[in-house]
Amino acid sequence: MTIQAQNDDIVNNVKDIAKRLLEEGSVDLIIGYTKGTIPLKAPPFFVKKPEDVERLTWDNLGYTNLAKYLLVKRKKKIEDKEVDLKVGIIAKGCVGRAIVQLAVEKQLKRENVMIIGFPCNGLIDTKRIEKELSGKEILNASVQNDEIIVKGKDFEKIYPFEEYTMALCKTCKNRTPLVLDVLAGENNNTTVMDDFFDVTTMEAQTPEQKWEHINGVLGDCIRCNACRQACPVCYCNLCFVDQNKPIWFDKTFDRADIFVFHLIRSLHLAGRCVSCGACYGACPVGIDLNVLNRKLEKLAKERFDFVAGTNIETLPPMMAFKMDDSQEFMVEE
Amino acid sequence: MNEKILLKEKISDVFDALKGENDIIAPVKTDWGIEFRQIENPEDIALDYLNSKVPPKAIWLPKVETLYEYEIDGKDVKIKTPPEKLGKKVIVLGIRPCDAHSIKILDTFFKQGSFEDDLFQKRKENLSFIGLGCNSPRETCFCTSVAGSPFNKQDVDVFLTDLGEKYLVETISDNGEALIQQLPWLEDSSEADIELAKEQERLAEDSIKTQVNLENTSKLLDNNFYNAVWDEISATCLGCGSCSFFCPTCHCFDVIDENDYANHRGRRIRVWDTCQSPLFTLQTSGYNPRTSQKERCRQRLEHKFCYYPENYGIVGCVGCGRCIAYCPVNNDVRDIIAKVNNIEPRTEEAGKT
Repeated sequence: MTIQAQNDDIVNNVKDIAKRLLEEGSVDLIIGYTKGTIPLKAPPFFVKKPEDVERLTWDNLGYTNLAKYLLVKRKKKIEDKEVDLKVGIIAKGCVGRAIVQLAVEKQLKRENVMIIGFPCNGLIDTKRIEKELSGKEILNASVQNDEIIVKGKDFEKIYPFEEYTMALCKTCKNRTPLVLDVLAGENNNTTVMDDFFDVTTMEAQTPEQKWEHINGVLGDCIRCNACRQACPVCYCNLCFVDQNKPIWFDKTFDRADIFVFHLIRSLHLAGRCVSCGACYGACPVGIDLNVLNRKLEKLAKERFDFVAGTNIETLPPMMAFKMDDSQEFMVEE
Repeated sequence: MNEKILLKEKISDVFDALKGENDIIAPVKTDWGIEFRQIENPEDIALDYLNSKVPPKAIWLPKVETLYEYEIDGKDVKIKTPPEKLGKKVIVLGIRPCDAHSIKILDTFFKQGSFEDDLFQKRKENLSFIGLGCNSPRETCFCTSVAGSPFNKQDVDVFLTDLGEKYLVETISDNGEALIQQLPWLEDSSEADIELAKEQERLAEDSIKTQVNLENTSKLLDNNFYNAVWDEISATCLGCGSCSFFCPTCHCFDVIDENDYANHRGRRIRVWDTCQSPLFTLQTSGYNPRTSQKERCRQRLEHKFCYYPENYGIVGCVGCGRCIAYCPVNNDVRDIIAKVNNIEPRTEEAGKT
C-alpha cells in the first residue's frame, strides 16, 4: 500500500471514529491535525462539533506532539459542579508515548483522555526539504503514491518518501500507540528490537569530534526556546534556564550559554524523551540534537530496561530506586 | 537624470568603493537560508533572494548588547560605557523595503518625547540603506495592506531595481547622493530601463494577492480585550516566540546583569526577549499579570494592530509574513486578524468591562 493510500485510510478511519465519539458524547473535544494555510504545515486542530471532523487530516506533517495540549486543565460545568473535560487525541505512536509518560509523571489523569491511536507512517523531513531548496518559496506540497511532490514558481521536485522521512521516524518501533482506547485502522508496530543504529556513529567519535558536531549543530541557535515549548515532557513551571532570582545561567548567545541550555535540557529528558521530534519540527532554524536524546534513551533501556511512554505501570528510572539498579558510576572504596 | 545603471557583475566594485569607511552588511546564503552578514568577500553577496530568514534588525538592535561594564573596587563602582564600534558607518546592501521600513517603526519606541535610546539612535545615525525592490513577493507577503509596497522607496537612501542583467539605481536621500558620488563609473540609464523598472514594480504589486483588512481592527481590538475569540486564537499556540524572534518590528528586550564575582566586575546587557514567554511579565513579587498563552497571544496582536495605531498613528507590522512562515503550529496572523474582524461590533462601554 502506498503512503498516499495509507494516509487516505487513516483519515477516513479517524474521521469516522471522531464523529462517532463526539456524537455519542463520549468526549467533549478531539484534538487532531488539519490542513495548513501554507504548504508543509499541519496545524493542531480542536474539534468540538461533529461536523468539524471533516477538517481533520493526516498528511505526514503533524510535527506538534498533541499531548502538549493535555497539560492545560480543561473544565466544564455540570449542575454548578466543575468537572474535567474528556479529551480525545488523534494519536500517532509518539503522541501515545507522551500521554503515557505524562500520566506516569502525574501530569494528567489517564481517565480524562481518550487515546484514538492510528498507525502512523512517518513524518516528512520538511526542514531538510526547505534546506535543500535554500530559500526558494514552496507553493504546493503533497504526498502522491510514495513520493513527496514539491512545487514552486519555477520548479517541481520529487522526493522519495522513505528517504525524506524525519530521522527519528526511521528509528521508530512504536508507530501505533501501545496504550490506547480506540484503534483507527490496523496496528503497524514491528516486533524488531530497537538497535539504536542512529547513535552508533556518534558513539564511535572522539570527544573532539563530538564537540565539533555539537558545535556545528548549535551554531545557529537563536535561543527562542521553541524546542522546550514544543516538547511534551517539558512542563516545569519555571525552567532552569529561566531562573532569575538569582540568575542561574547567562542568557547571551555565547556558545557556552547555548550549550548549557541544550545539554542540560537533554539531561532533564533522560528516560523521559519519547523521540517524537516535536523539538526539531518547532525549531525555526532546524536544529536536530536528538542523537543526544536517543543516546540517553539507549542508556535508560540498557541500564534500567526502561523505555519512556511504553508502560503505564512502570515508574521511570529517575523517579524510582531499586536495590539492583545498575551503579557502575559509583566509586569503589 | 538621477537614475543610473549598475551591471550585476560590478557589485564587487560597489563593495570595493564603499568598504573603506563603512562596514557592509548584505544577504549571504547560509545552510538554512539567507542571512544578513558583514561582508568580507564580495562574492558572498547574494542579492538574488526572496527575503532573509531572520530580519536584519539585529544590525540596529543586536541580539545581545552591552549597556555598560562595571568594576567594583571596595566601595567604588567604576562604570564603563560600551566600547563597541558604535562610531563605524554601516551600509546595508540589498535590504527589502519592508525591512527598511521596520526601523521607522522601531524608532517610535526608541525615541519617545525626552526619552531617547542612545545606543539605538547612534546605530541608526550611522546606517545607510541601499534597498532592493522586491520583484517576487511571497504568498505570505502582505506589505500592501500595511501601507507598504514591494517598491516602497521612502525608507532607503539608494534604491535598486533588478532588471535581469543589471540594476536601475535611484538616489533617494542626500545620504544616498553621497554614496552614489563614490561610484562615478555607474552608467547612465535609458528611457527603456526606467520603463522596465516601472513594469517590474507594477508586476510585483499585482502579484501580492494577500489582502489583510485593517480598517476596523484597531477599534475592534480595543473594544474586545475580554472577547472569547482570544481563547480560540491562542488554543494551539505553544508560546515558542518564533513569531517575535523573526519579526522585524518586535523589539522587546530583557536587561540582565552578568556578574563576574571572582574578579569584582561584570556587565549589564540587554538581550532579545519575547512577550510570548511567561517570564516576560513575571513581577518581583511573584505576581504575573499574563497568566496564560491567551493573554500573551493577545498582547502581541494588540501591540502591533491597536497600541501602535493609537499611540503613533502607524501599524506596527510591515507585512513581511515571517511569523506565518515560521510558526510551528501555523497560527497565521492573516487568519487571526480575520477572526478579530469578524467579532460583532460592540459598544465601547460594554467592551471595557
